[in-house]
Amino acid sequence: MSEKKAMIYLQPTPVRIWHWLNALGIVTLCVTGAQIRFPEYVNIFGTYKAAIELHNTAGIVVAISFFLWIFYYLIVAGTLVKLYVPNMGDIQHGILRQALFYFFNYFRGKPNPHHTTPENKFNPMQKAAYLVIMAVLVPLVIVSGILLLNIEPLRNTLLMIGGLKILVGVHFLLACSLCAFLFTHVYLATLGHTPFAHFVPMWTGWEEVEEDHH
Amino acid sequence: MRQPTKHMLLLPNLILALLFCITTAGAMESTDCLECHSDAEMVGESFTINSEHFDTTAHAEMGCSGCHESVTEAHPDDGLPPSKASCKDCHDDVYKEYTLSLHGSNASCSDCHNPHEAKSPTEVSGFDMNRQCSSCHDTAETVESHDQWLPQAGLHIEALPCITCHTGSENYVITMYLIKRDQDNRYSNFKPAGREDLERLAGEKPVQELVDTDNNGLISLSELRAFNNNPTYTDMRLWGMMTPESVTHSYQILDNRWDCSFCHASGPDAMQTSYVAFPEKDGTYNRLAVEKGAVLDVLNGTPDFYMMGATRNKWLNIAGLLIIVGGTIMPIGHGTLRFLTRKNREGKGH
Repeated sequence: MSEKKAMIYLQPTPVRIWHWLNALGIVTLCVTGAQIRFPEYVNIFGTYKAAIELHNTAGIVVAISFFLWIFYYLIVAGTLVKLYVPNMGDIQHGILRQALFYFFNYFRGKPNPHHTTPENKFNPMQKAAYLVIMAVLVPLVIVSGILLLNIEPLRNTLLMIGGLKILVGVHFLLACSLCAFLFTHVYLATLGHTPFAHFVPMWTGWEEVEEDHH
Repeated sequence: MRQPTKHMLLLPNLILALLFCITTAGAMESTDCLECHSDAEMVGESFTINSEHFDTTAHAEMGCSGCHESVTEAHPDDGLPPSKASCKDCHDDVYKEYTLSLHGSNASCSDCHNPHEAKSPTEVSGFDMNRQCSSCHDTAETVESHDQWLPQAGLHIEALPCITCHTGSENYVITMYLIKRDQDNRYSNFKPAGREDLERLAGEKPVQELVDTDNNGLISLSELRAFNNNPTYTDMRLWGMMTPESVTHSYQILDNRWDCSFCHASGPDAMQTSYVAFPEKDGTYNRLAVEKGAVLDVLNGTPDFYMMGATRNKWLNIAGLLIIVGGTIMPIGHGTLRFLTRKNREGKGH
């Protein structure tokens, strides 16, 4: 196995802009959301109104960045399905093989079965997780947030889904799920050949990879 | 010894008889007055009194002549306009408080209160309280002016009587009112359900039984859920408002009402008391108490009443916490094993 390293351009500029906008937005939403739900215990932004306004602004930023992401991958790059939807091989053995690596072989010092290329950025587990996050959780949290921002004009829509309280409950649980994902996401990003190996390309676009593996 | 005793009994009896006559005469007089003054065709709209509404007021107990002292048996043939008592004659403290307030120079007592339909604060719906204000303060303009600083201004004004923030009112509770679709159209707007609407739905039963199905005077959480889930009432909802139990006439803008946390950081403990108010025939509202903490129910108890920060549900909080803790399992569990097995990966580039 060769030790030779090469640099590949993994994360194009629009993706990096989207990622960091999204990251900043979601962290802001989590913290302001905590103050909005537990105002007696959490007061980070001074006033309740400041927390609400920041939460609403961050929500709109995340919604816009989501559309930027979908526009880039679907229209500009045209790689949305290829990168994010697990193929038959991924479903049949890829996910299992990757899970075996993360939860067993990694500790034995075995190599990662997935080799990153710009055309195949995500391992099968990442694909499945990101698909759920970006196709289900994020759109639902955005839609529920938009409804909550427009309770009066969209009242009939709210009633169709069972009322304001159900909507708030769904928004809250989805937000908790995204918050939970953040912890796992940041941790898994440290599993590169160095702890910051996966963080660098999300900032510069370039990742150092082994040129020839076998 | 017998004669003086007789005299001693005579005097109280005479006083009692006199009092009886006065009381009877007062009642008779009100009845006489209302014979004409409940008929708009006889006295004109401006002198018409809704006797059904008047009879339940505290003012009715004093009789018409209590305020219109100079009215004679010969009225109206005597051509003399009856005198009118001033509100401050009885309500001096309120009068002083009101005239000193910001509002005092802008409207008289009768601009907001019809003395022939005076009701206690808990007998008036939040909608009626705001309707009173909107007769001078246009609702759209009020929403627009509040929108400059208050998030979701329209929603706040729909869910709060103006006096909640603009007086020194205290002791807030959640009062829910039945609202129904304006028309037989599932997309039409909602309006407060009237007594007739509820009677039509209730049929033979008292209207309270629409929600308080066991008619025990207390609405349980399960009764609320049953009402909200009942397909017969799909065009009806329970609209919650935060209403004050005691009100003042010190119209002012209190500093703490600019601070959202005054209400929103009051916590679930402040959300324990709630009522459902039903319209009565006489135009008042009659409240039935609701099981403690019902507005905190996560699903069908009060599906349309949610006050950010205050009506959060305990079980939903626990579910959210478990989800977040679940997200830390990977960093903590995997991270620990990663640390313990670090020697296996030394020199292998990961």
